[in-house]
Order: sequence, then C-alpha cells, then structure tokens
Amino acid sequence: MGVLLQVLQSLVVVVFAPLYAGVITRVEAMVASKRGPSVFQPYYDLAKLLRKGSTMSDQVSFVYRGAPFVVFACYLTVSAIVPIITSVPLPLAFLGDLIGGAFVLTLASFVTALAGMDTASPYGDLGASRATWIGSLVEPALILVFFTVGVLSASDNPYLMNHAVRASPYALVLPAHLLGLLAFFMIVLVENGRIPIENPGVSTEISMIEEGRVLEYSGRHYALMRWGSWMKFFLMSAILMNVFVIPWGLGGSTASIGGALLAIPVLLGKVAVCGLVVVIIDTSFAKLRFFRIAEFVGAAFLVALIGVVTSYVVRV
Amino acid sequence: MSVASVASAHVTGTLESLSTSSLAGTLVTLASVLMLLAAFACLGSKLFNRYVFYYGVQSVVLSFAAAVVAYHFDSGELWALAFITLALKGIAIPVATRRLLLQRLELRRDVALSTGLSTSLIIGALLTGFAFLVIQPQDLPAGAVASSAVPLSTALVLLGALCMVVRRHTIAQLIGWLITENGVFLGAITLASTFPFIVEAGIFLDLVAAVLIMVVFVSGITRRLAEATASELRELRG
Repeated sequence: MGVLLQVLQSLVVVVFAPLYAGVITRVEAMVASKRGPSVFQPYYDLAKLLRKGSTMSDQVSFVYRGAPFVVFACYLTVSAIVPIITSVPLPLAFLGDLIGGAFVLTLASFVTALAGMDTASPYGDLGASRATWIGSLVEPALILVFFTVGVLSASDNPYLMNHAVRASPYALVLPAHLLGLLAFFMIVLVENGRIPIENPGVSTEISMIEEGRVLEYSGRHYALMRWGSWMKFFLMSAILMNVFVIPWGLGGSTASIGGALLAIPVLLGKVAVCGLVVVIIDTSFAKLRFFRIAEFVGAAFLVALIGVVTSYVVRV
Repeated sequence: MSVASVASAHVTGTLESLSTSSLAGTLVTLASVLMLLAAFACLGSKLFNRYVFYYGVQSVVLSFAAAVVAYHFDSGELWALAFITLALKGIAIPVATRRLLLQRLELRRDVALSTGLSTSLIIGALLTGFAFLVIQPQDLPAGAVASSAVPLSTALVLLGALCMVVRRHTIAQLIGWLITENGVFLGAITLASTFPFIVEAGIFLDLVAAVLIMVVFVSGITRRLAEATASELRELRG
C-alpha cells in the first residue's frame, strides 16, 4: 500500500507538472488578449524533444552529459518526501525534512550550474553565475520560512507541519504563519524564474538566468531539463498550498489508494489557485532590474525574519 | 461579550479587550499584520504617490479592524470612529495629499534619504523585534488580549518614527507621522475598547489641522526654496 502510494505520488508530480506550466502559459496569453498555445503544448514539446537525438560539443565532460539525469532524479526525490496527495507519511518520508528537501533542490541547481559552465559557452557561464548568486540569497530566507512553520509544529518535517496546521486552523491567521506564507510565495517566484525576477520562457540573452544555464542542451537532455524545471514549479506550489494555505483535502488519517486518488483533483484545484496568483503577478508587474533582485529577495528574508520574531508568542 | 458587561465595564472603569482566540481577535491580528506590511512597503518605496497609497491602504485596514472591534463590543462610538477613520484617513487625507501636494508640486521620486532602502528595512525589522521584546506578549493576560496586535501596534509606532528619521523630505516625514498615529490608534482599540470617544475625536481634529498646516507650509517652502527637505531647514539654526 505504502509503496503504491509512493509511486502514485511521484507519478502525479511527473505527469501533471507540464500541464500546470501549460495552463499558466495559456491563461497568461488569454489575459494578454492572445489565444496562446494549447494547455497540452508542454507534452507535445516533451514528446518531440524525447524523439530527437542530442547534439553536444566534443569538449564537454561527463558533468554535462550526466547533469539532466541527476537534476531529474533530484526532483523525483523531493516528490517522494513531501506531502502532495496524502498527509500520511510515505515509506520514503524518512529521507529528509523540508531542509533536506531544500538541500536536494539546491543540489539540482548546483549541478545545472556546473553543466552550464562545462560547455564554456558564455551564456552558460553567465546564467550559472547569476543563478548561483540569487540562490545564495534565497537560501537564508528559505530556512527562516521553515522556522516560521516549525515554531508551530516543533518540527520541520512537512507532514508534521501539515498535521499541526490542520489540528489548529486558528494557526492559519497567526502573524508568523501569514508572513511565512508571503515569504515562501516570494521564494517560489524567485526560484522558478517568474516575473519580478525573469521573463518565464523568454530567451533574451541579456536577461537570461535559468534559461541561460540550459541553453546548450538539445533533444532528450533538454527534455529532461525542461521537465525537471516544471516539476520544481509544481512541487513548490504544492508545498505552498498543502503546508501553508489549505492543509485539508489530503485523504483521511490512514493511507488509502482511494483517498489519494480523490486527493488528486483537489490538489489540482489548489495548485490552480496558486497558479492564478502567479498569473496575476506575471501580467501586472514588470521585471526587476538585475541588481534590484537582491532587494526583492531581501524583502522575502525580512518578511520571514519578522515572522520568526512574531512567532515566539505562539502558545497554542 | 454582551452589552451588559460592556456597560458594567464603563461603570467600574475596567478596560475591556479582545481575546486572542475569538474570531474578532483573529481578524484584528490579521489586520495588524497587514498594517505592518503596509508600513514596511512604505519604508521600502521611493515614490511619493506610493507612500500615500500605502498609507491609504493601511488606514482602510485600520478602519476594518475598528469596525470588527465595534461589532464585537456593540459599541456605537467605535462604529463612529471606524467610519471617521475610513472617510478621513482612508480617503480624505490620501486624496488631499495627492491633489494638493504631489500633483501641484509635481513630486515623484524621493531622493532625500539618509540611508539606503535595504538599511532602513533592516532597521525596521530590528525595531519590530524590539517591540516584541519590550511588550513580552506572552506575559499579557492569557486569552484576554489579542496578544500579537499589541506589539504589532508598538512596532507600527516605531516604524512611523523610523520613517520620519530616515526620510528628509517633509511630506515623507508627514506620512511617517501619520503611520505612527495609526499605530497608536490600533493599540488603543485593541487594548481598551472603552477608550473615551472625545479623546479620539480630538486626535482626529489634530490630524486634519496638522495635514492642512503641512500643506500650506510645504507649498510655501517649496515656492521659496524649490525644495522641502529638512536639511534645508536645518541650516536656519543659529
């Protein structure tokens, strides 16, 4: 049973992540009075890329060749240890808490940066340098966000956090929790290259960050990289909704396949809410200048810090 | 809270306040967090019309909090205060400041800052922590006060003061002062819903007078000196 649920949860992430990206792109196009690509376009792209061979420079090392697999595996690992479709800890949940999950996400980012530099293409270097700089700013803010929820649940295991918030719904409006939510949402935007940081899906050389690192990839390897980044966005949105906003709708208190299957449409609905907010921000704000990104991430850090400060009154 | 107990509170002179876990206490806490974020947004922005906008948002949230307290205690005076807050601080002062000052003087970007934005935000975070440190909200009577709203209102007072310190332009300082006043009002309605109406009304009157005086004052100074930062005024010292 546990193994089945485990597989099902990772499958949900793998299968629905491209749909999430496709829906967001489509809705953004509609907001801009365009028709936009089909919501299934990411699947078509993946199918096309997976059928094609991969072209590589003869100068690249094993780092470049292996990176897409490591990155994909990292996101699969995270999908195994966080509550996505069930709130009952899965067999692999012992692998890591949220900080462990953040480490794995950072590992993926690190490997991507190495691969970007390995090609010796200036764009890869540029993207790697920028992404690493932003990553170093995001990390402290992310850890503080976990503390804000951790104060309530006395744990940084995402399942226990989910249980603690569900047990006392009053905690949802505590200042610490709200500030943590806001900070985490800002981090989701930064980590996934959404609008205040980067134009998603646009390869303009001057402003590339995430896109720059994987610019040299093609064919199957590129497909894995793209898929990985969609999974990351889906995962982070799901954590945001399941731990911070709506901890309900994750099946019953005992693990069951039926409950998990029922939780899938609920999850899609929750993630759609998050996507809607992302669309609103994407379509109503402009991209920040590069050196103002530090201010944006600094604001996330600050909000999380205030959250931690305000949380020491919590005696639920 | 029944009407009778509020009435008895009037008679005996004890202070009535919200409890943490009631719906009203929760809503007031929520409003305080939003007000704190508005103050930080104000502190982290460089455009005059943003200052005024964030102040307006903060005041609307404050009037919502006042309305919640008024509903909870069924107090007509607080209802009146909530409506005055909405009309005066949420609408009249922002609109007047924008019409009479920003548009007439064509003010856009505030360049008279003593510290960088990041520095002032960090100091603001420290001040918020300080507010929690001195109030010690966990020592407040358990369940008797919406406990995080009290330190948050103190933090608002400090943030408004910080806004006045790090900004040298008179209008930015005016906004800082108004934020401080919002913090005081929030603390008053959270801690003591039986705050005398006459005191609050007096404060509102002061507020209007101060803003009007500031309008005349800033317009005059700007016409003479083409700039209205306090550093110019400081040179007048003997």
